[in-house]
Amino acid sequence: MSNTETETKTESDGSDSLITTDVQAEQNDRSAPSTRTAVAARNLNVYYGDEQAIKDVTMDIPEKRVTALIGPSGCGKSTFLRTINRMNDMIDICRVEGDVEFGGKNVYDPDVDPVALRRKIGMVFQKPNPFPKSIRDNVAYGLKIQGFDSDVDARVEESLKGAALYEEVKDQLDSSGLELSGGQQQRLCIARAIAPDPEVILMDEPTSALDPVAASKIEDLIDDLAEEYTVIIVTHNMQQAARISDRTAVFLTGGELVEYDDTAKIFEDPEEQRVEDYITGKFG
Amino acid sequence: MATDTPSEAGFGEVSRVRGIVFEYLSLGASVAGLLALGILLVYVAVDAFDLANASPEWLLTYFLTLVVPYLGFCLYSVGDPTVTRRAVAALGGGLVAVAGLFVGIETFVSPIPRLNWPVAYLFVVVIPLTAYLTYVGNQGRVGAVGLGLIGRAVGGAAVGLAVGTLFLVFDQFVWFLAYTFGVFPAVALYVYARRSPSSRAATAAPVVGVVGILLAVFARETISTYPSDLLIFLWTIAIPVAVVGERLVTARGGRTAGLLAGGVPLALAVAGGFLAGTVGLPGPDILVVVALVGTAVAVYLQRVIEDGEGLAGLALPVLLVAGPLVGALVVGAWGVPAPDPWLDVGFLTEAPSRNAVEAGLYPAIVGSVIIIAIVAVLSFALGVGTAVFLEEYTAETGLVGTLTRILQINIANLAAIPSVVYGLLGLGLFANLLGLGFGTALTVSLTLSLLILPITIVSAQEAIRSVPDEFRRGSDAMGATRWQTTKNVVLPEAMPGILTGTILALGRAIGETAPLIMVGAATTVFSAPNSLFSKFSAMPMQIYAWADFPQPEFRYGVVAAGVMTLLVVLIGMNGTAILLRNRAERGS
Repeated sequence: MSNTETETKTESDGSDSLITTDVQAEQNDRSAPSTRTAVAARNLNVYYGDEQAIKDVTMDIPEKRVTALIGPSGCGKSTFLRTINRMNDMIDICRVEGDVEFGGKNVYDPDVDPVALRRKIGMVFQKPNPFPKSIRDNVAYGLKIQGFDSDVDARVEESLKGAALYEEVKDQLDSSGLELSGGQQQRLCIARAIAPDPEVILMDEPTSALDPVAASKIEDLIDDLAEEYTVIIVTHNMQQAARISDRTAVFLTGGELVEYDDTAKIFEDPEEQRVEDYITGKFG
Repeated sequence: MATDTPSEAGFGEVSRVRGIVFEYLSLGASVAGLLALGILLVYVAVDAFDLANASPEWLLTYFLTLVVPYLGFCLYSVGDPTVTRRAVAALGGGLVAVAGLFVGIETFVSPIPRLNWPVAYLFVVVIPLTAYLTYVGNQGRVGAVGLGLIGRAVGGAAVGLAVGTLFLVFDQFVWFLAYTFGVFPAVALYVYARRSPSSRAATAAPVVGVVGILLAVFARETISTYPSDLLIFLWTIAIPVAVVGERLVTARGGRTAGLLAGGVPLALAVAGGFLAGTVGLPGPDILVVVALVGTAVAVYLQRVIEDGEGLAGLALPVLLVAGPLVGALVVGAWGVPAPDPWLDVGFLTEAPSRNAVEAGLYPAIVGSVIIIAIVAVLSFALGVGTAVFLEEYTAETGLVGTLTRILQINIANLAAIPSVVYGLLGLGLFANLLGLGFGTALTVSLTLSLLILPITIVSAQEAIRSVPDEFRRGSDAMGATRWQTTKNVVLPEAMPGILTGTILALGRAIGETAPLIMVGAATTVFSAPNSLFSKFSAMPMQIYAWADFPQPEFRYGVVAAGVMTLLVVLIGMNGTAILLRNRAERGS
């Protein structure tokens, strides 16, 4: 493996290989704390009608890392995720107080267009939801609605490779996305999300509807995605959070962010007794 | 009387009597209804085609020259000895059974009016069997090729005739100018932009089109000399159709085949158009029909020949043309009495008359075709638009939400309002207030559009609502605007359902009589309408008028012929729409 890489590098010209090495050095060192913040919540409160779903959450989510949000059902972690790309706007009774900063701006400022915001933030849902269109059209969807019409085929191919799906579907790009298996559909949705090259990818329990083999493929993929994108993932599966994330936030009932730290710290030596109880299965 | 207690063996029994009674009552009711309708249609067909006067020899001749070869073709396509054996058994056994039963009823119960056993055999055995074998034969490659060819020829002819009919009312000169200055440059620009990727040309195309069409409407008044209809149809319809055919075939089978598929039908159409003009037939219509049929057939032939499968199916048109010809020769030589159908070419091409033999339906057919065209476009556009607005754009809460709910309930209620009331509305609104005239094509079309709009809206709403929300959320999360989500995800997925609703609603519009009477449509007009504002009639109106005539020839012959025509137009229209819908379903 490393041999072939060295060979490729010597074949290509000097400047290219230098950049590649640089990037790889940076990418491989994900354990070091990221210097930059991608998304930040400041005193965030979210209500559904009279019910509070998120209680005074403040957190910084680092760039190009995987941040996992865990916690029992109804603890507000999915709500938090949907607050970032303003998908909660679709729910009439939802009310947001406080700031969510992304790209140096509060996304709830009145001059922010939620549609333009969502073009910078990809999202993958719990249940795979490819459109009833061809695989090619599914991946090209984001490009189409944003008006890109050059090199669409090349970008589709690149995105499918990025979602580790290209080899399986390259001969059937014109067949419907709904004909794929569940795991393939979810990777198609990931390809669709990364095709317009967003900065952040939100994932709402992306593997909970999949079998373990398909789920492990998605987990590997998430690891690769973090080299280029900031990934924020909601999961019920604590092993999964421990395996793939760099940072973990634990929400507990009432929408309270109880503890937020490096994943290793959360799973080995949590500060809070409640978090330890939840992780070890005594509560939740 | 005292009843014994049931034996206590096992678990006892649970009574299913009510369910079983319900099941068989429902089955019986449906069968009785279908049977009644079937018998009515048989009598209508017998009257329309004068089958009561068809001698057994006449029926036998055509059975042998047309039906048997066609059934043989279908069976050959199926290629399954079991099916063949069963078909022969059904033909033979059916003959014995129907003849025996018929004679038995005639002898022992009561005579059956205006039917004889060969005709009963035709309707009870031959036609259902033919329909079944057509369906089964279509599954085989040979049958699919043959029926596909026939379908393209008939479809091309129907579209050609419909186009010709529309130009009776719409101004062909405006179309000529709009095509020359608007449509043609816009399409040319778009094709050019697709080939060399300069996105500016592609966005300019619609603008050029709209400007050109406006220019055409303006220029229509100022230009006084125009080319003949034949040249207009050649330039605006036949040549574009030929070019499309040429492109399709060139992409698949190369340059020579493409030129042949585009050129030969065009040459035939031009020749046919000129020749027809010299013998007094409508040359422009023939040009359009030949161009459409020829190109559709040529494109299909090229594909079949390239696939190289089921080539024997190409003999089907020969079979279907030769059969009646041979039959006519035999009948002529034999001298057996032949029926004199009310529904013949004259009935379809001539104006109504006080004389039953000369009576025709032509002006009413033209009227109905024009109404259908306008109503289809209007109710589809307005219905889908309203449904999209109600389902995708209005909020669910607050004042707007309340207003929407009130609107929804009212639309659902409007669907139940009697059509006479809509007729009154059309009379007041379109004929009187807007001054569109009493019984003009425009008034009637608008009234009927209004009549079926609630049905179209409600069914389109259902279709849109059945699109899963996860598609919408997926599209929203990609940063699509609501319009983009609707256009790219919701509408394509809802289209089959929307089309189903529109088809049903159109079927209602074409058969309506009451609102037509209310807005003052004529029961009988003697010439085809020549503008949107001319007085005109529709098929159901004309049939209704005939049914009131004192002479029995009208009530038994002409009305039946009119009903058959109405049914054929309706079935043809619905069939086309269903084909479109199935294509939309397969596309998604």
